[in-house]
Amino acid sequence: MQDPRIRTGIAAVLSFAAFFSLPGAALVFLWWLVFTPGLRLVKKFGRIFSLILMIAFFSLILQIYGGQGLSYFSRMTVIILIGMWVHSEQKSGDFLGMGVWLFGDRLGFEIGMIAEMGMQSLLSVTTDFDRIQISHKIKGIRWGVNSLSSACLLLVSNAIIRAEDSAELLAVRGYHSGGTMCPEFLTRPMDIIGGIFALIILLFALIPFSEFFILYR
Amino acid sequence: MQITLDRAYAMRENWSLNATGTFHEGVHLVSGDVGSGKSTMAMMLAGFYSLSGGSIRRNGINSSVLSPQFPEYLVTGVTISGECASWGIIPDKILEETGLETKKDESPFTLSRGELKRLHLACILAKDYDLLMVDEPFSSLDCKEKAKFCERIGNRTHGITIIFTHEQNILPRVDRIWEIVDGTLIDCGNPPDAFLNWRHLPPIIKRLTDLGSRPDNISFNDLREAECRIRG
Repeated sequence: MQDPRIRTGIAAVLSFAAFFSLPGAALVFLWWLVFTPGLRLVKKFGRIFSLILMIAFFSLILQIYGGQGLSYFSRMTVIILIGMWVHSEQKSGDFLGMGVWLFGDRLGFEIGMIAEMGMQSLLSVTTDFDRIQISHKIKGIRWGVNSLSSACLLLVSNAIIRAEDSAELLAVRGYHSGGTMCPEFLTRPMDIIGGIFALIILLFALIPFSEFFILYR
Repeated sequence: MQITLDRAYAMRENWSLNATGTFHEGVHLVSGDVGSGKSTMAMMLAGFYSLSGGSIRRNGINSSVLSPQFPEYLVTGVTISGECASWGIIPDKILEETGLETKKDESPFTLSRGELKRLHLACILAKDYDLLMVDEPFSSLDCKEKAKFCERIGNRTHGITIIFTHEQNILPRVDRIWEIVDGTLIDCGNPPDAFLNWRHLPPIIKRLTDLGSRPDNISFNDLREAECRIRG
């Protein structure tokens, strides 16, 4: 999906639809199978399983204590799949372009730049984590509570150092606020088709099935 | 004790590395241009890079360590003292050796790259690994520190030591010289005979050889001794 505006819109709509109801989540899952690389994405982002496991753990607790754990698990897993798809399609500059398109050169530029920096930071954390894993192997450190907590501390301190560096760089370059940008977006027919189906799914998720039958009568 | 590469092959877009050879006990130097594949080969030997083909066999090696080119990649400790401890050694000795006692509670990332490199090399050399692989160990170090670590690495008598570097001036005494040329690992042989085949022969050794005083090895002392022979 080429157009980041439609992609982000679809992600918001589908996440809402999936969270709102179980039938909505089922339809979103079908959309995910049809409009994204599907299982190839799961293979590429194998790390996603740890996140799904974490949700499974909380869902189990919810189920044990009388909540709707299974429903929660299904809905959240589908939202993660949508997030994974958005992340895989994301290109550098998408948020900046979208921010300017939505809110103009001043506020939009600021919001877009913050979002871009956030994404960059997320990417750096992933790279850092890979390096830490290799470092642990080199040093012969086994994963445990101590090593995990020191790894987390390291990830946080690295992120803070990088944020300081970025702030310094912006200050040195004389950045004050806003900027100029002329965003260009490429919209393909499949983007529009995917968007229309996402909106239909949202309608199905918001309106109970029984209401459709009433309308039909 | 040895490590054997049997047509070990690594491939990336527009780039490949083919390596065949056996590294026996002693100090080995692997030279090559920047981007020739030295770091990839080090990662291959350490088992952190998936081979596209061939194999790597280890015999009699029970412990190994890789010092990557960029010391920041090795940091797992939140403080400098913690970083030393993460190597399984008592921090005090290392802190004293590296002159970082006063900074022991600071983050390792407050150190300059040279200081961090010094700290990591000191930690790595504090243990006797069967296989020690150091990727560009002398980068970011000043001449004095380079000479100090050259001596320590060159004097290692235990196990296999493999140095991956494009350094041309300050080098340790080595037992065998290898180089990577056009994506292939080439065994140049033992010094000083290796100098005849070594395409990355440092200019100073070439000059001394041309003047009829070939050094016995590549360390600073060997070069000085060869220089003295010319001067009488």
